[in-house]
This record gives sequence, structure tokens and C-alpha cells, in this order.
Amino acid sequence: MIAFKYTKTDGAEFISHLDLLRHIDRTLRRAGIEVEYSQGFHKHPRIFMGNPLALGVRSVSEYCTVDTRFDGNFKEAFNACAPGGVRCLDFKVTADNPNFAESIKACRYEAEGIKDFDVDEILSKESIIITDMRGRTVDIRPRICSVERRDGKLVFTLYCGEKNLRPDLFCEYLSSLYGGEAAYILKTDSFGGTVF
Amino acid sequence: MKPVNLGSIRKLLLKCEKPSRYTGGEFGAPAPVWGDFNFCACFPDLYEVGMSNLGIKIVAKSFADRGMCADFCFAPAKDFADGIKEAGVPLYSLALKAPLADFDMLGFSLQYELCYTNMLYMLDLAGIPLTREERRGKKYPLIVAGGPCAVNPEPLADFVDIFFIGDGESVDADVAGIYTKHGGATREFYKEISALDGVYVPALMTPVHEDGKLVRFDGENKVKKALVSDLDGAIYPDKFAVPNCESVHDRAVIEVMRGCYRGCRFCQAGFIYRPVRKRSVNTLAKQACALIKNTGYGEVSLNSLSTGDYGRLPELISALKKQLPPEVTLALPSLRVDSFEGDFAQDARKTSLTFAPEAGTQRLRDVINKDITEDEILNAAKSAFNAGYSAVKLYFMIGLPTETYADLDGICEICRKIQVLYSSEKRKKALRISVSSATFVPKPFTPFQWEKQATEEEVKEKQDYLLKHLPRGVKLSWSAYYPSFLEAALARGDRRLGKVILSAYKNGCIFDGWDNFFNADGWKKAFDDCGICGVEYVRERSTDELLPWDFIDVFVDKKFLAAERGRAYEAKVTGSCLDGCKGCGMQKVCPAARGEYDSL
Repeated sequence: MIAFKYTKTDGAEFISHLDLLRHIDRTLRRAGIEVEYSQGFHKHPRIFMGNPLALGVRSVSEYCTVDTRFDGNFKEAFNACAPGGVRCLDFKVTADNPNFAESIKACRYEAEGIKDFDVDEILSKESIIITDMRGRTVDIRPRICSVERRDGKLVFTLYCGEKNLRPDLFCEYLSSLYGGEAAYILKTDSFGGTVF
Repeated sequence: MKPVNLGSIRKLLLKCEKPSRYTGGEFGAPAPVWGDFNFCACFPDLYEVGMSNLGIKIVAKSFADRGMCADFCFAPAKDFADGIKEAGVPLYSLALKAPLADFDMLGFSLQYELCYTNMLYMLDLAGIPLTREERRGKKYPLIVAGGPCAVNPEPLADFVDIFFIGDGESVDADVAGIYTKHGGATREFYKEISALDGVYVPALMTPVHEDGKLVRFDGENKVKKALVSDLDGAIYPDKFAVPNCESVHDRAVIEVMRGCYRGCRFCQAGFIYRPVRKRSVNTLAKQACALIKNTGYGEVSLNSLSTGDYGRLPELISALKKQLPPEVTLALPSLRVDSFEGDFAQDARKTSLTFAPEAGTQRLRDVINKDITEDEILNAAKSAFNAGYSAVKLYFMIGLPTETYADLDGICEICRKIQVLYSSEKRKKALRISVSSATFVPKPFTPFQWEKQATEEEVKEKQDYLLKHLPRGVKLSWSAYYPSFLEAALARGDRRLGKVILSAYKNGCIFDGWDNFFNADGWKKAFDDCGICGVEYVRERSTDELLPWDFIDVFVDKKFLAAERGRAYEAKVTGSCLDGCKGCGMQKVCPAARGEYDSL
């Protein structure tokens, strides 16, 4: 198996998760990287993506695993055939599936455009109740890991998986409180035992 | 040219549906460079539909191969259109993000009549005046249009500067060259291009009406269609842009043949794409392999009007199976029932098979020259069932000339026989039959071009009859009447309909081909406000009447069409060109007429 880290920038942030999966499948076929197929009734290529990224959020820290015996330079082969904005940054050969969707526990993002505010004030709150996109009220405070300001940029880390919080939703909340608008959200890092 | 900065509409992209329709950057998309002559292929429907169209890819390539800039643009959905309007951003091309108004030529592909208002919608979003009259003498792109609907260009003659009739492989780009030579759309330019085959300049022709009747065409009134005689050597894209969001035909496509031998009397494509021209097994295999390699698609579709009539189909399939990667599947749309063989069917996902008997009885199938028998349908169904299929879709038309209730009973009877056939053996799954009944639309350049369209009451009664009499378990779907009526009016329309189309657009009619957007009231009001009776356009035309498209020559003899109509009334089958030439009028340019059925 090959685990690889890739980007979703330069317009690719507008490609939906399902379409991205199709794109990766096609990129691999174009690159001549043969993927193993599942043995079930409906055969599908064994490509395992990380958690979906909210549409419009850019990322330089996406992860994916492909079941293949390809032993060439995966990064070069992939990048020669990938659509614009999807770039392999690094890869490694692995015996087991790192299962990024499960094993990545938190992600760090940066955003510009939200008006200055006291980050400690947010972190000192015990609970933050918001209405999510499906109209449910949720407490997002336990889903926030850290919020800080670095070089004029807002940098924040949110949990993934069960306690997942969408970065765009978080930014919307901050905008509603402090004004301004998050123009470019970028995922910069992922955290979990399996990332590289 | 100053490209649109996507950053300025980022917020809009974040909130509109499927933003990847509007961002470009598809893998394999051509990388046009803004140059001396800039062409934009415009498709008046959504990205997902337009990206599946082969014609615009071929036309764009013909420009690019001559060193000209060729970009694409699709009709944006209403949410995005409203957003760019509000932001003051003009409609822009996909790759270069160039405002459409900055191009030298915008080429609209007219695939179906119900996209006409969308052409106006795109021009409007681009800030280009809609009519020729408003644009005259000002610096705007040439508005050109081609595709199957262009064989009756008159309803759009108020809006379009140049129509391209027939094959688009070369004439479009020829005209661009002549435009550059003359330094613009001068009088000499129009004069020179109007002499070319496949070019119609509405400004040079005036249809004359007397007492509400079309009596003659004044001016340049002979237009021959453009014809590519060597399809095997014709240009073909070796790569496709792989759409950013799933499109309706998201796969590689090879065009096996153009034209059809069968001559079904209702089918416009069967006449306007004559004569049948083919590509060789070698060329097709090469094209398929290049496309799969360059796109990464997992499926190749073998396109034509009747792929089963491609004499070397078994050879082609085995060549493709040998040369393509093993996981790539083949899709064979447009297989006629009589050419269906169980082993052609792909092994993956055996589910549903679609047949188009079009009519319920042998008599009516003879009338429409669809010379397949009930036995052939049942045999095909049987081999499909034995190959593991458990669902059948059947396409029929309602309102065909000479249709009676006995023909509707025939539809019910076929369903019943298929049910009996299915249950004659023990099978794992329950059978599903769905019957789709479309309303017959008479089209120009067919033997039925003089026919009337059935009225709303007639169609409704027939649909109700089917609902009542179809055997239990058969699912019936039907099309709404008014869109079919409108399709019929526009298909056989004349220049007077231009103002109705404009008025309908102003009443908010766009995406007329989409059930959920169809605005019947907007169209009805448009007809009323213009004082034009829509019903007049779907009436029976008399054979001595001058038809609005009579100045266009698609090489099929009008006398032949009239004779075919006569045979239809006698329920006489003419049959396929494969059984010998029927003398449709294009013997001079037809390989089959020379007996060359299998020349490639």
C-alpha cells in the first residue's frame, strides 16, 4: 500500500469529496499506477480517503491510501497526471492501511480577514452553542483545541472525527462575534499517529 | 482582454451549488492562449451536460489545430448567474476566464430546441445585445450557431450572425480565417463566406410572407450543408477535459459512425446526418486507447446512431478488449434490438436494458419504417434475461401518424409477452418493466415534416388509456405536453418566432429542457403578447406549401421525403440502406449507394 499526502488548492478546493475520489482514481489510471480492486459483488478500486474537507477550504495536508504494488516514484508519477491544485507532497510505502479517516484526530487551519479579537476570551468560555448547517444546536467548545494569532494570521486547531468541527463554520461563528470575514481558510497540518 | 479574477467572486463560489462548474482547471483541458483570433465554444446548458458533448470538442479542436484560441463556456445555473450579475461580473470562459464579449466569435451548439432561450441568457449575462439589429455596426463578437437544430435556423435568425449547417470539422474555422483576412465582419467577408457550403448568413436572406403565408426567400437563398466525406481521417480530440464534477456522460467517447442506414421516418438525425460514414477499427482502437490513457476514464462509449450496424463491430470489440487496460468497460448505446446479442452485453452490473420499439404494433412500426418485429424484441429480451438482466425499459411514442387505440393495446401486449417470457423460467429477481411514452414531435427533413402534432386532449386520453390498460407491475412515465408542443413549434418554426423566443426569455424562461425550470406560463404569455398562435406551428403542412427550411439543402430530396410519407400511409417498410440504395437523393456522396458498406 502507498500512503500519500497531497494538496487541494488553486481551484481544487471547489471539487467535492466524491468527485475528488473519482479524480484520484483517474489520476492513478493515467499515471499507470495499478490499483487493487475489492473482491465484492460491486468491485471498486481500493482507495481510502481521509475525512472530507469542507467545500472551499484549501489544504496542504490531505491524506489518502491506495492499495497498489507500484514501486516507482509515486510522487512524480502522480503529479504528472493530477488535475490542477491536487499535488502529491510526500508518500510512503506501508504494510497496513493507516486509515486516515479514523487516525487523524485534529487539524490546524489558518485564516485571514476576521477582525482582531482576544483569543483567550474564546478559550476561556466553557461552552459555545451554535446552530450547525442542519439546524441542530451544538456545543463546539469541546471541539476546539487551540486558537492563536501568528504573524497577523488566525491559527486554530479543531478536532476531527467524532468531535469534528468544520473550520468554515467556526470562522462564521467568529465573524458573527467580532466582524470581518474569513476569506481564505487553509488547512496546514494534520495530527494523529499515522501522519508524516 | 482582462480576465475575470475568481478571487472577486470567491464568496459566490462558496455559496453556489457545485462551484467546480465555474472554476476551470480540468485535467486534460486544452490550454488556449489569447491570440489574433479567439473563439469560444458555448453550450447553452449546464456544465455537466455541455462537458459531455462531443461536437463542441471537435469544433474547438479545429480552431486550436489552426493556431487559434479556443475556449469553452456553459450556461451557469441561476444561483451563480444571479450572483455574477449582482457582482457586476460578466459571463466568462472556462479556461482563460475571459469575458465572452472580448472574443471574436462565440459558437453556440444547438442540440435541442428547448435550449434556445439559454442562448439569449448567456448573451445577456455576457453583456452582449441579443439581436443582430442591436449589435449592427458595433464591436461585438460574431454570434454563430451550429448543431442539429441549425438545419432549421429561422427561429433564431434574429439573434445569430452566421449559422453553420452540417458537419463542423472545418467550415467554422475556415470562416474564422476569412474573418481575419478581411479584418472583421465586413460586407466582403459576409459575401465571401456565404458562398461556402455549410454557411448561412441570415442578414443576406429575407423570407417573404404574404397573407401570413411564406411565399419566397429573397436574397442568398441556397445553402448546402457542409459534409466531411472522410470521417476516418477527420480530426478527433486525443484528449478530453475530465470534468471537475460528475457530468452526464462521464466517460471516453469514440464516434464509430456518423449517419444511420435505417431511415426511421420520425428521426431527424437519421436524415440530416446522411450519408453514413465510418471510422476504421484501427483508427477507433487508437483513439480509444489515447483517450483512456489521457483521461483515466474507466469506460469507453461506442457512439453512433446505430452501433449494431457497424459491420465490423465484433472485430472492433475484440480489438478494444485486446488493447485497452482490462478494467476498462465498453458501453454500447444505440444498439438496435435486432443487433443485440447477449455476449455483447457487459458483464458488470447487469441490471437494466433499454429497447426503443417506438410503436406498439407491427403495422405502426411499418408506418414509421422501424423494421423490427415483435419476435426480434422478444428474442432480444430473452437473451438479455438469460444474460442476467432483470429490468427492461421500453420507449414508445404517442401521437404518431395513423396511430389508433389498437396500437396502444399493442404496447400493453408487448409488456404482457415480456412478463410471460420472464416468468417462463425460474429467475432470482423480480422483473421490472418501465414504459416511457414521449409525444411525437414532427421534425424538418423527415418524411413526417408535414405532419401535425397530436393535440393535448388526444395525448392525454392516450396516456390515460395506457395507465388503465398496461398490465400490473409496469411503470409508465410520460412527458408533459407543453414542452413537446413547444419543441414542435420551434423545430418547424420560422423567423417570426424570434420575437416570441425573445419575449419568453424576458418573461424569465430559461432551461426550458429541465422539467423543474420549465415555465409554461412565460411561453404562453410570450405567444399571446406577440400575437402569434403557437398551434399554427404544429398543424399539418400542405405538401405544396413552402416550408421555412426549404432553402437549406441537406442533400435529401424533398420528393423522396414525400414519397416516404406516402409509403408510411400505406404501412410500407422501405427498410435499411443496407438492403440496397433507396435513392434518397445523395447517391453522389454516399458510399453505401456505391455498394461500399464495408469499405473500412
